[in-house]
Amino acid sequence: MRTLLYLIRKEALLLVRDWHALVLLFVMPAVFILIMSLALQNRFSAQSGVHIKYYLLNRDAGAADADLLKGLQGLNGFGALPATAAEPELKARVRRGEARFLLVVPRGFTAALASDNPVPLRMTATPDASAAVYRLFQSSVREVLARVYLKQVMHALSDQRGKDAPPLPAIGLDEVDRLLVSESLYSRGGKTVFPSSVQQNVPAWLLFAMFFIAIPLSTTWVRERQQGTYMRLRSMGIGAMTLLAGKLVPYLGVNLLQVVAMLLVGVFVVPWFGGDALTLGHSWPALALMAVVASFAAVAYALLVANLVTTSEQATIFTGVANLLMAALGGIMVPRFVMPQALQAVSHYSPMAWGLDGFLDVFLRDGGLGLVAGPALELFVFGTACLVVTGLFMGWRRRR
Amino acid sequence: MIHVERLSYRYPGSTQEAIRELSLDIGAGRLFGLLGPNGSGKTTLVSLLMGLLAPRSGRIDIAGGKGAVRAALVPQEYAFYDRLSVMENLRFFAGVQGVRETGRIAEVMETAGLRSFEMIRAERLSGGLKRRLNLAIGLLGTPRLLFLDEPTVGIDPQSRRFILEAIRRINAAGTTVVYSSHYMEEVQTLCDEIGILDQGRLVARGNLQALLGSGRGGQLSIGLEREPPRSLAEALHEYEGLKVNGAELTLDHCSPGQLQRLFARLAEAGLDVSRVRYGHADLEELFLHLTGRQLRD
Repeated sequence: MRTLLYLIRKEALLLVRDWHALVLLFVMPAVFILIMSLALQNRFSAQSGVHIKYYLLNRDAGAADADLLKGLQGLNGFGALPATAAEPELKARVRRGEARFLLVVPRGFTAALASDNPVPLRMTATPDASAAVYRLFQSSVREVLARVYLKQVMHALSDQRGKDAPPLPAIGLDEVDRLLVSESLYSRGGKTVFPSSVQQNVPAWLLFAMFFIAIPLSTTWVRERQQGTYMRLRSMGIGAMTLLAGKLVPYLGVNLLQVVAMLLVGVFVVPWFGGDALTLGHSWPALALMAVVASFAAVAYALLVANLVTTSEQATIFTGVANLLMAALGGIMVPRFVMPQALQAVSHYSPMAWGLDGFLDVFLRDGGLGLVAGPALELFVFGTACLVVTGLFMGWRRRR
Repeated sequence: MIHVERLSYRYPGSTQEAIRELSLDIGAGRLFGLLGPNGSGKTTLVSLLMGLLAPRSGRIDIAGGKGAVRAALVPQEYAFYDRLSVMENLRFFAGVQGVRETGRIAEVMETAGLRSFEMIRAERLSGGLKRRLNLAIGLLGTPRLLFLDEPTVGIDPQSRRFILEAIRRINAAGTTVVYSSHYMEEVQTLCDEIGILDQGRLVARGNLQALLGSGRGGQLSIGLEREPPRSLAEALHEYEGLKVNGAELTLDHCSPGQLQRLFARLAEAGLDVSRVRYGHADLEELFLHLTGRQLRD
């Protein structure tokens, strides 16, 4: 036991003095979390107050319906800019990306709205508008148009029915909203809110960094083998399993430290830069279980890599490539729900996907131990398999 | 202390045996030199003796067992941690071996001359100091049997002298030392007994002086200024085993009296002696004689 303590202390000293490793394990994921959370903030919170800008040019001044203007100025999720220039200039600004859309209400639009020859609204999109945003904006405008059109039709019907006819139901157009009650199962404090990018980015980049522990671990192990330190320790009667535990325990600690550090970044640092704060869910045991099994899987994988490679260069290249593949497949870089069905099926073979599923179960779905049991078991089995192969490989190499 | 019998070892995938039918005895308290060119099997033999490799065949007996005699290895490489200081390295290696005596670290630092460098990180030490640290780590467990594998490779003469002196002191204190090297001068000045390895075989072993005077090296060789006349050459046959080969006379056995008479005879014939040699000049020549190759090949 004392031998193990000396091995752990030695690894800790070596790691603390390896600033490359510290940057890789702690600074890189923190920076990724910060950048990606802030960069993707708009995409994730399109419906929570962050607007896509557009110009609204009303050339039907005086005649335009008040409801129409009110509706077009308050498109949900979009923000209208004052049209302080003529249409060609506004179009040029949209082309330059100063706003995403230009919406022109043409002269005579309101008067001809319910006629046989309507004068259509003109919508122009910036060249790099995505199809999803384009269609969302188009649908929002259509919704406003439909409401105003319906109002005009109802007025016309009332006029035609004569004074003695019973009145039409007095349904205000805004009353339509009462016909739909909506909620998100992601709620906080009883209020319906939407998850921000930080909920995805913290666990994603945390897992990415945890698996990068293979680089410092392999480098130290390879150097020990090359410099004869491993042989010296063996000649001192220290067993291979003790040496393996001497790596497993301290690096497990480092991974758990990463978990704590990155959660703190999500909770405190991201909001400090103007992003949304990470919310941790309500099950500490589930979060702790995921942290431990993900650390175990990452360190066991690192031990396997450290034993398979023979040089530090091999360790760095292999870990870099393998981790990028696991991350790309596992939903770290692109959320898995946007992947095609076939790729989603393949992505389930990435340990990072299991880890991400588990953390998202806690952070998004408010899951407890029962919900994370599946991904936790997958990670545990993966880690155990890595350790078994490592042990077999060490035995084989010793015999050689 | 060490008894090795018909030991053989072949690395997996290799067609040649790294150690071939090697038998060896090393007595307790000796300073045994294991000499051989690079690739001759020295490190393999040391690894086998330390139990780091399992022999394919043969036996190794270490009196009382390796654990009982506290054997230690000082490998050829700098087998410590660059990012730890001298003191941190010593504390770590003492700790993992279960060395509890606090004074032991101070003692080995004194022996290896590392007192003034204890707080310096190993990566900043000179080559000579690194070698001393490598040696110091090997001494932490107070070994009764110490294997040193090329402990002076790549260092300056001053550090080399220091290390050789330290090894002498360690041996004088009762530790059996097996000193593996390809530096024949070191082995010649340091060791009282040597074994010469070549291609995995022990081609010679024994007392250094005896080896230098053994085999063809036991001949007396006399070089003359010119060839002796035929009559004299024939007359010299009275000396048993004397051969005349041009201007060189060789003699297998010769008493001091015979030698005196021979020189008198040559002087009478007016033949000047240009050189006289008995035995091998050094280990280099002995190795050349035994293997037909240079030690540094």
